[in-house]
Amino acid sequence: MDGEKKTYGGCEGPDALYVKLILSDGHEFIVKKERALTSGTIKAMLSGPGQFAEKEADEVHFREIPSHVPSKVYALCMYFMYKVRYTNSSTEIPEFPVAPEIALELLMAANFLDC
Amino acid sequence: MAAFPLIRSRTIGELLAPAAPFDKKCGRENWTVAFAPDGSYFAWSQGHRTVKLVPWSQCLQNFLLHGTKNVTNSSSLRLPRQNSDGGQKNKPREHIIDCGDIVWSLAFGSSVPEKQSRCVNIEWHRFRFGQDQLLLATGLNNGRIKIWDVYTGKLLLNLVDHTEVVRDLTFAPDGSLILVSASRDKTLRVWDLKDDGNMMKVLRGHQNWVYSCAFSPDSSILCSVGASKAVFLWNMDKYTMIRKLEGHHHDVVACDFSPDGALLATASYDTRVYIWDPHNGDILMEFGHLFPPPTPIFAGGANDRWVRSVSFSHDGLHVASLADDKMVRFWRIDEDYPVQVAPLSNGLCCAFSTDGSVLAAGTHDGSVYFWATPRQVPSLQHLCRMSVRRVMPTQEVQELPIPSKLLEFLSYRI
Repeated sequence: MDGEKKTYGGCEGPDALYVKLILSDGHEFIVKKERALTSGTIKAMLSGPGQFAEKEADEVHFREIPSHVPSKVYALCMYFMYKVRYTNSSTEIPEFPVAPEIALELLMAANFLDC
Repeated sequence: MAAFPLIRSRTIGELLAPAAPFDKKCGRENWTVAFAPDGSYFAWSQGHRTVKLVPWSQCLQNFLLHGTKNVTNSSSLRLPRQNSDGGQKNKPREHIIDCGDIVWSLAFGSSVPEKQSRCVNIEWHRFRFGQDQLLLATGLNNGRIKIWDVYTGKLLLNLVDHTEVVRDLTFAPDGSLILVSASRDKTLRVWDLKDDGNMMKVLRGHQNWVYSCAFSPDSSILCSVGASKAVFLWNMDKYTMIRKLEGHHHDVVACDFSPDGALLATASYDTRVYIWDPHNGDILMEFGHLFPPPTPIFAGGANDRWVRSVSFSHDGLHVASLADDKMVRFWRIDEDYPVQVAPLSNGLCCAFSTDGSVLAAGTHDGSVYFWATPRQVPSLQHLCRMSVRRVMPTQEVQELPIPSKLLEFLSYRI
């Protein structure tokens, strides 16, 4: 894990390129910071005043979100990439498909993350 | 009323009708414009009994080459092509079809179900040119409906049963080639084009002219609107009337479902566009074209602000309306003022392109004008909402064990 961090840039410090999202069962996801900031909630957690102790290490703990359905987290990350890619872009915006099986739970996650 | 910023829509291009020696004579009107479900063709009634069919991607390329210079990224020219397998020998051709009588309505029908044609990934497009059927139905002044093959321009079928003008035509989006026609003879007729145009059913219930009809995206419900404030919903499995939607004060002339089938937009001569929940008949939103809103008596008469056409965009967030005050308006379903406007005189009809990026509007003199639709990345919440609502009617949504704020969001009540 340490070797990986050294190669790709770290999660520490204000210039960190990546942030770590830690879900309730300990699973960690390392996501590019620019894309994670798509979520208003994550943005607030990362830049808010001292009450979020995570600020130092650019980690965000989600105590309510379990990771036992990895397809939802994958969909979230894909949406972040989609949004960053096509916002303020002159190219055609393609459709972003959401599978009906995960749509309802993904809606609740998206509502929580304000995105 | 607080002032709001009026953003002008970006014009993409225009297709002007050829000049005719008798300009002022009736018969020039362009009552319908239509895009093929797979985005390959665009058709409009040029007036004087002709319909012109143009390959849409070539048409768009021409606009981009001769028109605005804002296009910096060449990937925007990569539109769905039906011959992406390299079938250069079968390039789509332009056709001008003489229908023999004034054309009032047009509709494209495809044997490919719409979910497949409207692909998510453009490169994956598998439409095989010439093997799947693409038909154009034209509704005429004398009540006849002619069915043409789009690729060859040849007449395939002649459907004769209506006794008056066929004012609107629509195909079921599930690829079954079921055609519904709406007529001034107060009926709608259901035709099965896979069975040689056999007429399956007559839908009776309107007391006056039927102006327009539209299928829900899952092909289970048909909406028909007409004179005397009529808005009817029909069950298309049993061909029975589900309910009448009350609320308009004048003739209702256009209707369109949202892409997830959760919303129905209707346009009326009473200056309003209403957004309904088709599952329970509630009015969710009202888009007014006259301020202050007219009293019912004024709304029920000649008020210069008749709304002629309404169309839902494919992102399920925008609605375009066309009114007699010479303006095209783009609305968002979460705002009650238009987000973009464009000037248009004598507009009669409008339709979004298959990928939702362009709005086409037809005018009284047989011309068509095109604008870029306001596009932005939809929120993930809205994308999830559409995915849920495609399969769940409002009654089921109300039973879900989720917080009430999310319930309201899912029912489009926010």
